[in-house]
Amino acid sequence: MKFTLDWLKEYIDTGDLSPEALADHLTMLGLEVDSVTKLFPELQPLKTAKVLTVETHPNADNLHICEVAVGDDTFSIVCGAPNVREGLVTAIALVGTVMPDGMKIKASKVRGVKSTGMLCSERELGLGDSHTGIMELPSDTEHGQPLLATLGLDDLLVEVDLTPNRPDCASVIGVAREVAGILRKPLTLPVEKATIDHRNSEFSVDVENCELCPRYAARLIRNVTIGPSPWWIQKRLLSIGLRPINNVVDITNLVMMEYGQPLHAFDFDTLNGKQILVRNPRTNEKMFTTLDGVERELDSDMLMICDGKGPVAVAGVMGGLNSEVSDITTNILLESACFNEVSIRKTARKLKLASEASYRFERGVDPGGCIIAMERAISLFCEVAGGEAVAGGVDLYGGIRPLNSQTLRISRTASLLGIDLDYDKIANVLQSIGIRCKPKDDDTLWVNPPTFRVDIEREADLVEEVARLIGYNNIPTSLPLVSLSYPEQDPKRHMRAKASTLLADIGFSEAINYSFVTEKHLSMMHLAEDDSRREMLQLLNPLSEEQSVMRTMLLPGLLENLKRNINFQQTDVKLFEIGKVFTPQGDNEQPIEKERLTCILSGKRAGEASSLYASDDRVDIFDAKGSCELLLETLRLYGVELDDLVKFRSPNENEAEVFSDPSQCLILDSDKGPLGQLARLQPETAKEFGIKQEVFFIDLDFEIISSLHGAAKSFHSLPVFPAVKRDIALLVPIAVKAGDMLATIHSSKEKFIEHCEIFDVYQGKPLDTGIKSVAISVTYRSPTKTLTEKNVNKSHTRLINLLTSKFNGSLREG
Amino acid sequence: MEQELDNLRTLAKEQLAAVTNSNQLEDFRIRFLGRKGQFSSIMKDLGQVPKEDKPRLGQMANSVKKEIEALYGEKQQALAPVAGGMVGDSDEIDLTLPGRRPQTGKLHPVTQIMNEVCSIFESLGFSVAEGPDVEHDHYNFEALNIPAHHPARDMHDTFYVSDSILLRTHTSPMQARIMEKQQPPLRVIAPGKVYRCDSDITHTPMFHQVEGFLVDRDVSFADLKGVLTIFTQKMFEKDLDLRFRPSFFPFTEPSAEVDIACVICDGAGCRVCKRTGWLEILGAGMIDPEVFKMVGYNPEVYSGFAFGLGIERIAMLKYGIDDIRLYYENDLRFLSQF
Repeated sequence: MKFTLDWLKEYIDTGDLSPEALADHLTMLGLEVDSVTKLFPELQPLKTAKVLTVETHPNADNLHICEVAVGDDTFSIVCGAPNVREGLVTAIALVGTVMPDGMKIKASKVRGVKSTGMLCSERELGLGDSHTGIMELPSDTEHGQPLLATLGLDDLLVEVDLTPNRPDCASVIGVAREVAGILRKPLTLPVEKATIDHRNSEFSVDVENCELCPRYAARLIRNVTIGPSPWWIQKRLLSIGLRPINNVVDITNLVMMEYGQPLHAFDFDTLNGKQILVRNPRTNEKMFTTLDGVERELDSDMLMICDGKGPVAVAGVMGGLNSEVSDITTNILLESACFNEVSIRKTARKLKLASEASYRFERGVDPGGCIIAMERAISLFCEVAGGEAVAGGVDLYGGIRPLNSQTLRISRTASLLGIDLDYDKIANVLQSIGIRCKPKDDDTLWVNPPTFRVDIEREADLVEEVARLIGYNNIPTSLPLVSLSYPEQDPKRHMRAKASTLLADIGFSEAINYSFVTEKHLSMMHLAEDDSRREMLQLLNPLSEEQSVMRTMLLPGLLENLKRNINFQQTDVKLFEIGKVFTPQGDNEQPIEKERLTCILSGKRAGEASSLYASDDRVDIFDAKGSCELLLETLRLYGVELDDLVKFRSPNENEAEVFSDPSQCLILDSDKGPLGQLARLQPETAKEFGIKQEVFFIDLDFEIISSLHGAAKSFHSLPVFPAVKRDIALLVPIAVKAGDMLATIHSSKEKFIEHCEIFDVYQGKPLDTGIKSVAISVTYRSPTKTLTEKNVNKSHTRLINLLTSKFNGSLREG
Repeated sequence: MEQELDNLRTLAKEQLAAVTNSNQLEDFRIRFLGRKGQFSSIMKDLGQVPKEDKPRLGQMANSVKKEIEALYGEKQQALAPVAGGMVGDSDEIDLTLPGRRPQTGKLHPVTQIMNEVCSIFESLGFSVAEGPDVEHDHYNFEALNIPAHHPARDMHDTFYVSDSILLRTHTSPMQARIMEKQQPPLRVIAPGKVYRCDSDITHTPMFHQVEGFLVDRDVSFADLKGVLTIFTQKMFEKDLDLRFRPSFFPFTEPSAEVDIACVICDGAGCRVCKRTGWLEILGAGMIDPEVFKMVGYNPEVYSGFAFGLGIERIAMLKYGIDDIRLYYENDLRFLSQF
């Protein structure tokens, strides 16, 4: 909602209230002022000028050399306008002025004659369409004055961000009413009261369904002369960004902005049968051309204004081309009506046509205000367009509502707001904006909101009015008295926090990607045709193809992040994301939403750490495995007990993802089902994302992770007796898995074994091909005594024999 | 020639044994193994030996060179663990060299702010609940007193997946979902992702909100002001000026928008606060009786307040982020700053 201060002051004397203070008051009343700006700031430097002499240009017949006076100065200007003449007062842009279109005025020579400025047309100034000549100001206008002040445009534009509940304030008078409430001053209105004389013989009106059209009033005005509006009307419209069209249309727009009542003027002589019928389209009425020249498809729910033959306007949205006021119109039928909010909204939506009228009707127009606004427009038609109002008219008020009378409890209001209130305090503030009050009983008021307050329907609405008018900032602050309770922790949130913190601590940064992605990811990941992740939830109205389906995996998003980082020379990347993936169910059913945890690792292991110390080693599958182990260990799902809740194993056939390198892939299992996998990304997949470097990923089902109960922490006494370490270096066939060797040691019956670990794996010369050396360090300890050489040797020998026989190996010499 | 090689081997062994730091080691390398070193000069002489001696002497030279190189390598390794060769026993230690830091990552700024917001309310005894991103029209709108064809729907540019299923436009559906299942007293916050089909410099189509509500007997607007005052002051860590101004949400009545004194200019007026000196940070209000009726609470018995705030906006204000598109590009140069 836009208005200017000067316009507002037509209805309310704001005294010495500054524009800033006014804006602040409105904002604190819930009419949030978005901006207060000067009108046409780009026209500030323009001046008025008087043409003193006009001579024909010696080198061009259609150009004139003019001497113009601007205050005490005179300038010589070459002008091509046909209407330039001695004595004309017009607008001048002097040298240095930047025009609204960005052009800078320079001193120049036009066909050999010096010109120091430009006389301007309305169109050049952005003040109208006229480009046939330069602007013509009244001849008694003083020259050398600022143009804006002369035009009455030296004014401030106020823009209010209107909430949908306050259609009454979608009008300058509506805003003025609020200001009057603050200032406790009366309003001055052009028309305060009006009635309609129901005697009418010139035309007929019928409303088929008064639910869709609670009120329809119309009057006839004869003998109007269509022409441009007087400047004071054009100025008002221009100042809020509306384009003046002609006097009749401008008046309907002006009154709509003034009173908030949309009006429509029909060319009466185009109406067949001199009748108006408010109804839905008939089955054969399929298309209709609105006055913007667009042919629109109708449907049976739309409310139309029709004449004896067919539609002449889309009710409350836009008039029709067939009944539009034109230059030759002389008789006007003026409509002032009130339409059903939902019906107008549906129609405007379906037609994708939003107008100033539909904006107001959708939110609710004051049914009590139709006649007043009509009266105002008619008086202007007569005054400005020479019209003669025909006595009598039509006012069908089938949707008249009973007086909106409500009760408001003082104690209820006080307890909801947390302040002390009494009858006087409440009545005082409500009455300031025209809500009538009278006492009902000790604790209750009878309250009558005016008809334009369509938003006040219940006691709660009145409580809000009281709070708003008292001022939210005059309500004290307190803290609720509540009984103590312990907020239950969501285990998933808890797990998420733990996992995120650990991953960040070990070098992974957290990514957050959009939940909607491109469908192209499916083929970029080379997913099989029958992969369930190809079933994606589609958005009906996506912003772009890039964001058109709900994701079924997190990895593609992270790969895009990796690519972006590589593009910006960040090649060492470790990222993780914990987020939802979506599996569609039936139509009109919510999808299944499941959280996953996905990590990617690529580039140097040391990351961006100082290259002074860091090696250039790049991450490999064991970085992925190690990070994953550490994560699961922190969540106490792995490595905390002999019987892990999560197990790593090699993939069976077809178990590795298509985008995983099967030779570098581990599957994770849990009691509650498959947990996910970690692997080296297939280079072909990486290539799809434009990534040339090696990438490793971990992809886990976070729902399962958070459903597993991690092992409780439990204390083991610290060992009292010393440990004995023995190393074994075994030569075994390459196919033997080191993990199996460790498992064998763990499951051997040697009771003093406390710990064992691999410390070297070697293959190559001087070993035979097909053979590798695995070096294992075994720690022996007894909880009850210091182990002797003898104890250990016995065990150790048995262990070596066990390993060599089981794995077809031999001890490595030296 | 043989003798020279032998001598060189002995000399190299002795000198290498005396090396204690990396500088000495480097000197050694230049002296013995460098291009102009002693070994090279012997090798030059190899050209002059009789043809028949060449293979034997060549082999011998090679093995001496290998031996010295191996010893050099061992020494290098032995010295290496001491600060990558930077620090030795007798060297002066250069402490202006950078520290050796373990690599760490960062939580996303949205997560950090979200955690902060949640922990303030958790400290006030609120529980945390999360709901679905893909929501029924009913919970997103109807149950919040926003019927179909209500102009308030214009405030939400909604992504639909079917007639009745949509991406939630706010976290407020959790009000209805929780009140439907639980009885007052309730103190709950609901963080999560929300979606609006709107994308420009100040809007991303996905962002994060935290919804909060408290329902009990005798909860007042003054209580709402009190709780949100605590929140904003804890969040921004100073005694910020705060103002509540009337607004409109269909599911609260009275509704309020909460502004804080601009944290950029301290209320003086700047570009960020559009010269008003105030920044809007959350919407709030007393829960509308219609919302209570729809979940079967008696509005005559219970009252409550609700509020919602945007995490990205708070992060922008707190960290001075000026382009919200950065949030979802996951550029390490961005993430590593927080």
